[in-house]
Amino acid sequence: MDSVFSYQNPDPSGSDGTLSGLKIAVQPTIGIAGWPAVAGSEALAGYSSPDDATVIERLKQNGAVLAGMTHANELGLGINGKSTAGSPTGAKTTDAELLLDLAGEARLSAARNNLWGFKPSWGLVPRSGIAGLVPSMEACGILANDPGTIGTVLKVIAGPDERDFSQPQLEYREVSIESIKPEQFTLGIIEEATTLLSGDTRDAFHQQMSELKKAGFQIRTLSWPGYGLCLVVHRLVGSVEASSAAGRYDSVRFGRRAPGAKNWNEMYLQSRGAFFGTLVKSYLIQGAYFQFERYDAYENACRIRARLLKVAARLFTQTDALVLPAQKPVDAGTLDRLYEQCKFTAYANVVGLPAMYVPPASAGNHGFELAAAQGACGRVIALGEYLHRLRAGGKA
Amino acid sequence: MEFEAVIGLEIHIELNCATKLFCDCPNNPGDEANINTCPVCLWFPGSLPRLSRAALEKAALLCLGLNCEIQTKSAFDQKIYYYPDQPKGYQLSQAHQPLARGGWVDITDEDGSVKRLRIHHVHMEEDVAKLMHELDGRTPVSLVDFNRAGAPLVEIVTEPDFRTPHQAMEFLKTLRTQVRYVGSSECSMENGTMRADANISIRPKGTDQMNTKVEIKNMNSVRHVGDALAHEISRQSTAVRSGEAITEHTRLWDADKKTTLPMREKFEAPCIPDPSIPEIIIQPDEISAWRAQLPEMPAALAERFVKQYGLSTEEATYLGSDPETASYFEELIRHGVAARTAMHWVSTQLLPALRQRNLELTHSPVTPQRLARLLAMLAADEINAAAARDVLSLMFDSDAPPDDIVKARGLGQVSDTDELATLVERVLSEHTAAVADFKSGQAKAMGFLIGQVMQASGGKANPKVIKEMLARTLSV
Repeated sequence: MDSVFSYQNPDPSGSDGTLSGLKIAVQPTIGIAGWPAVAGSEALAGYSSPDDATVIERLKQNGAVLAGMTHANELGLGINGKSTAGSPTGAKTTDAELLLDLAGEARLSAARNNLWGFKPSWGLVPRSGIAGLVPSMEACGILANDPGTIGTVLKVIAGPDERDFSQPQLEYREVSIESIKPEQFTLGIIEEATTLLSGDTRDAFHQQMSELKKAGFQIRTLSWPGYGLCLVVHRLVGSVEASSAAGRYDSVRFGRRAPGAKNWNEMYLQSRGAFFGTLVKSYLIQGAYFQFERYDAYENACRIRARLLKVAARLFTQTDALVLPAQKPVDAGTLDRLYEQCKFTAYANVVGLPAMYVPPASAGNHGFELAAAQGACGRVIALGEYLHRLRAGGKA
Repeated sequence: MEFEAVIGLEIHIELNCATKLFCDCPNNPGDEANINTCPVCLWFPGSLPRLSRAALEKAALLCLGLNCEIQTKSAFDQKIYYYPDQPKGYQLSQAHQPLARGGWVDITDEDGSVKRLRIHHVHMEEDVAKLMHELDGRTPVSLVDFNRAGAPLVEIVTEPDFRTPHQAMEFLKTLRTQVRYVGSSECSMENGTMRADANISIRPKGTDQMNTKVEIKNMNSVRHVGDALAHEISRQSTAVRSGEAITEHTRLWDADKKTTLPMREKFEAPCIPDPSIPEIIIQPDEISAWRAQLPEMPAALAERFVKQYGLSTEEATYLGSDPETASYFEELIRHGVAARTAMHWVSTQLLPALRQRNLELTHSPVTPQRLARLLAMLAADEINAAAARDVLSLMFDSDAPPDDIVKARGLGQVSDTDELATLVERVLSEHTAAVADFKSGQAKAMGFLIGQVMQASGGKANPKVIKEMLARTLSV
């Protein structure tokens, strides 16, 4: 158990409510009053959260059982051998998990553990109380063994929060599974994504598409010019935002301080140098480079991102949802590996779309990803539930 | 070669809001250290900023009071620099899209002409924490007080329109008056609710060169600004004459030594749009609603005082220099005091008396109502001016109506001619030389004789009545 949880709730009891009896594990980036909230970072060793994050408040109010905290990659960035996100739910110790999706982490953790993994539309789930790193791209993701459980949890944690001023005017609107009529439902395939595939991943994706077609869905190939830039935009804008967001970890008010510094500047350098890991450090240094030396490149990335948003919105006038390839995650030890890992997931963070990792029908195969327009979380979940029921042999 | 200065000002004003800019902590920086803090202004992991509506409104009123154009779209940026007074490695400020642009302040220049000094823009930002360095003891420590961290500020950036220290000082005084009128801040440079930095360069007079500028900080009063600029103009002129190059840097004003000292090279922090504070969208009808809230501004008020009360422009401007004085004056008039008397008593008696006692006009124990009653007694010849001044002084220590003080102290004016006739006769018989002087045409002697009768009455005689009686007696 020790290897799965970084902290276990000594009193795992829930109360009455819509989530009564549901066991949930959370990533240590998410604050629970009195629990350690170290976000997988040495820099935060000894820090415990003064308040519940809004999502935790809502889980508690609705009777969920908070089982414990998983291990996270530092500040939730990427997944590697250290991260245990998905393990307790994969082992059915818990029913669902919450974790931050900065570049695809929720969906990738699902892929690694053969679970369903969901990243909500940006801003639908409040970020308050969650130690984030890339504010304009991250969302609190949900993992479960079935899309229905994800929907149940999402319904509880979504919606406006007066502590999160950045939320767009979004309400979670459920979509009934009965409203999914394959013959009237278009699934778009992005040409620019599928060309990145090769070998057995390409074959697997085509196989899945033909199964969806067999199930009656209208499959349509669409072009998203600039799709390939999503990764570059994420890498640039993400590192700039991270460099700012991690500025608060300065060892002045909380967290660990390296001893022996002669002045405040040394105190920062030594503490950050000693306690941040290599991946985070290289990300922050890259971000600082663009902040201080190449602001023009950052501005260009923001412009490209604005265009990607427009094009993505236009795609959904031609299709009801997108189907995209997914890959089994490699370990993210370096920035290059991190961006190899999130090659097929980062687009949803860049343009703020709701996206769901759909595990393969039989273990060992490749899964794929569903996405819908901004705000259309209900549609993605209903579609997932439809596919889940189809696989179970039920009539949708 | 004769030089002229090119000066621009950057003025920080602390808004007098109840809470901080991005959280609900009380905006009382002077309280016990670190008492007014929360996870947001300490920037604990996961805390998010929430812009205060009240601060936005106070800032907008300030902008409108300075004739600025409120932008329908503005936004916050992260100004990135690391310092222990900065709890998150960046300061939230509006670098790219400020709240307001344009605007101006009219001042009276040294030659008496009106000069319009333009404002480039006004933006909102948060204040930083306060550092206290304790260097005594074996291990020197730096302590941080986060009470001030996140306090709401606006920064006013002017155009480089200023040519003289006088213009900069007048600008600050007029700006302070206008901001006090809209009620957004007390603007005290002494208490730190208004802080001014100056950018200054020099050029040969009559050219339009823009040369390397030097930034001056640490000027804690309007006078310091004038002194520091005058010093810097002469320092730069001397340097240029001796062929020395001016480099861009920051200097600190040392008020004791009356000199500026180099501090550091100027550092430009990068500014990145903040992803967690949404753009501020202001509808035109909101701007109209704010505009409707603006009080009568000082220039308009002075003009009205001249027209309505027959005051001179100087008198009207003086009374309008802060909203409290203007409203006190008008209260006196509402209570029946003549405009000229009100103007005279407020400026020469009341305000000096308050200053002497270290009191604010708003907390004056002598209310307009009480002063009006005293002045009514004076107008009705129930007391004379000297007695009125004494009574005013007593009114600061007593809640009693002026009538009671007059009665208790026996300060009532004696206008009874029978009572005064004896005194007049006595004075005339004692000062025959003065009587002779008067009769030989020396009008001055009358004043002397009035003074003697006043003295004999213990100051209570009505000087008007005495003068009439003396004139009547001596002309016979």
